Amino acid sequence: MKKIITFTTIFLLTGLSAAKVDLVTLPNRDTTQLTIYNSADLTLVRDGRSLTLKEGDNKLQFSWANTLIDPTSLSMLPKRDADKIDIADLTFPPRVQNLGLWTIDSQIGGSVPIEISYLTSGLSWRAFYMGTLTEDEKTMRLQGYVVVSNNSGEDYENAQTRLIVGQVHLLDQIAELARQQYPYGRPGQVPPPSPRSAPVRRAAGSEVMDGFVVMEAAIPMKKEIKKEGLSEYFLYTIEGTETIPNTWSKRLPSFDTDDIPVVNLYKFEEDRYGPAVIRYLSFKNDDEHELGETPIPGGMLKVYRTVDNARHLSYEGQSNFKYIPVGEEVELNLGAVSDVIVEPKLMDEKTDNYRFDNHGNVNGWDEIRTFELAIKNTRNLPVKIEIKRNFRPHTWTIKNIGEAKKYYEKVDLDTVKYTLTLEPESEQTIEYELTTYQGTRTEDWDRMQKQ
Amino acid sequence: MKTKTILTSMLLFATLASVARARTKLVALPERDATIIRLDNPNATLIEEERVLTLQKGLNKVDFSWNAVSIDSDSIRLTVLDHPEQVKLLNVSYPPGEPALVWEIASDGDYAETVRISYLLSNIDRLVTYKAIADKAETQLDLKSYLVLRNFSGEDFDKARVLLDYGEAFEQGIDHEETKQMLFFKAPQVPITKVWTWDSATLPWDPEQLERQNIGIPVSYRILNDKDSRLGEFALSAGKARLFQDDGHDSTIFLGEDVTTLVPVGQKTELYIGDSRDIVVTQRKMKDARINLRKNDSGTIVLFDTDELITAKIENFKDTPATLTMIQHIPGQWEMKKCTMDGKKAQYTRKDAFTLEFEVQLPARNDDGPAVKELQMQYSRINVKP
Repeated sequence: MKKIITFTTIFLLTGLSAAKVDLVTLPNRDTTQLTIYNSADLTLVRDGRSLTLKEGDNKLQFSWANTLIDPTSLSMLPKRDADKIDIADLTFPPRVQNLGLWTIDSQIGGSVPIEISYLTSGLSWRAFYMGTLTEDEKTMRLQGYVVVSNNSGEDYENAQTRLIVGQVHLLDQIAELARQQYPYGRPGQVPPPSPRSAPVRRAAGSEVMDGFVVMEAAIPMKKEIKKEGLSEYFLYTIEGTETIPNTWSKRLPSFDTDDIPVVNLYKFEEDRYGPAVIRYLSFKNDDEHELGETPIPGGMLKVYRTVDNARHLSYEGQSNFKYIPVGEEVELNLGAVSDVIVEPKLMDEKTDNYRFDNHGNVNGWDEIRTFELAIKNTRNLPVKIEIKRNFRPHTWTIKNIGEAKKYYEKVDLDTVKYTLTLEPESEQTIEYELTTYQGTRTEDWDRMQKQ
Repeated sequence: MKTKTILTSMLLFATLASVARARTKLVALPERDATIIRLDNPNATLIEEERVLTLQKGLNKVDFSWNAVSIDSDSIRLTVLDHPEQVKLLNVSYPPGEPALVWEIASDGDYAETVRISYLLSNIDRLVTYKAIADKAETQLDLKSYLVLRNFSGEDFDKARVLLDYGEAFEQGIDHEETKQMLFFKAPQVPITKVWTWDSATLPWDPEQLERQNIGIPVSYRILNDKDSRLGEFALSAGKARLFQDDGHDSTIFLGEDVTTLVPVGQKTELYIGDSRDIVVTQRKMKDARINLRKNDSGTIVLFDTDELITAKIENFKDTPATLTMIQHIPGQWEMKKCTMDGKKAQYTRKDAFTLEFEVQLPARNDDGPAVKELQMQYSRINVKP
């Protein structure tokens, strides 16, 4: 297996190193800006170049063999004298692939700065996180990282690198547009299906690139990442420029926040998780939690805990969490635990209130069950626990016994919730009586709802 | 060059008796003159070309054939331009097994007669695409529309007048297998309305149930094709639109893309750009009971009404206000009993018998957290059969 990957790496390196984006009558790029998306395999590239124009018609050839550029996105913009320079048309000539020819009608001669922009596939980024809990699990240090990967077939040197957080709507995959024989297809061709909600596949070879991540991680550079909101997106601009050769990845620290107050939250819901108690780590993306400046992009969080004064760590689990808007509460699922236990027990079962039809057959009754929820916290820390119970059919009434009343909340027509905090190494019991109405007794239940 | 010169050098091929793969021959005429490519019908492209026929007095046979191009033979028309009274097309015959036809033309004298040949040619068409850059505040956009000519007809057009459904005709040559993209029109500062839409029929009700996945609320830009929007002169063609936004740093970000259908003058289009994860809707059914039970003689319920309660919590985590369009559905015959937003009577528009639309004004989030609104709908479905 390892041999195959090695082979692929070599193949990628040699096979794609011939890739080149070139505008024949132009010097190389002066500036490059990459705006990389993570919800889709998409990057907006902006190349600044100096163009020497003559008065009148100018033809410019741009070719992009072995890259993943979408030719329909190619655009040229004069950055000066825009009123005197007319980009008349862009022709994709017959029987030549990966080549475009611009006709530029200029009223002036000489050097003109221009910008060529296009969308490409093959560059991607992702976020990942490391959380370190204090020994008492009251606070956590959260470190965010971004990993930028280039598999586009093109080396990007000294590029201003920007990352977009957000869900962009795409009709066509850029990689597919890049592979089309004719940029806009042929008349009568069936367009590719519109992937309204299709999951986005990462560019092939990302496994290979992960190998580089580890290598790169050894030499991290401390750079600021500027964050700002635009439309429904967040734009992260990495300070300075980055050089990312084709097939390489780069890891950069995004933020590092200490002392985030966290809540150890445990959840129990048989319909959803089965008999196990699930551990969650909960905090809010706001000021009080030393966060809240920007949303937190989704990614994998690995949680550790400091176990002694020598700063040794234990691994607590990991959670793949979703995008967290500013002000929203996060609940990170760390998986099933066995040190907090919830045992629902049926303590009593009876039927009552029978109804009979004209033939003397039973057509309505009540089923009355008493449940006890035995809750045990075996940890040496206090825990908050949330227990949800689902009742079907939805024709039910509940009688909470004793303490249960304090913790009770109705969630919706077939769900209730008990929320309580348990002291370290303690036990508690919740007791309730559930009556479900069957057959014609549901009519009586309906009547009761009116009151 | 392999498929060049199909219609253009017909005579040449005919006289040289060349066995070209692609040919069209027409006796006794040199080159075509004015050629028009009419792209005003999105389903078919009409070519009109003028040629000068050297006609002799009496009966003339003119052979018109086409190879390697796809012409609808029933669409071919011949129009006599100089002497319509003296020159008459008598009949058209189709030689067997050949993409060709022969015109029999009667002429009462010797004329160098200009005729117009028109036909529907396949595999040549146009697309319209849009590129727009929205301002940072998302109140307006600079709209550019591009025309993309695609010629895969088998025929090269050195020079032709291209005609669209609107605007001036323009001169443009296009070779076989060539694609040409050109600016079609510019409309600066077109006002837009940003719309967020939550539809109870298509989006999940409880985000908490999807703990590792966000529910994206579709975001669209609404554009009106009218004078106030600096548009409205002609219908906007159907096509793909790519939207960008000015980022305030002399650059742009890509917002998203969508296709628009044809937008007639006075009508609107909505371009879906992406999903917002900063507005969160949690909808729950809190009550579903039967009332007004009606029974048959055996005591079985045959008809009833319902008493239902739906609550929807809407949270705006954005630092800007937003207007959410919320769509609710109630099937069958129904009656709203009580409908409130934050305890006050809520207004809705009945879009059709079973669809209700609410416009929810959401303020920006503040230091305490998201702006929260709560919708409550208490309604009865009436005369429900079990």
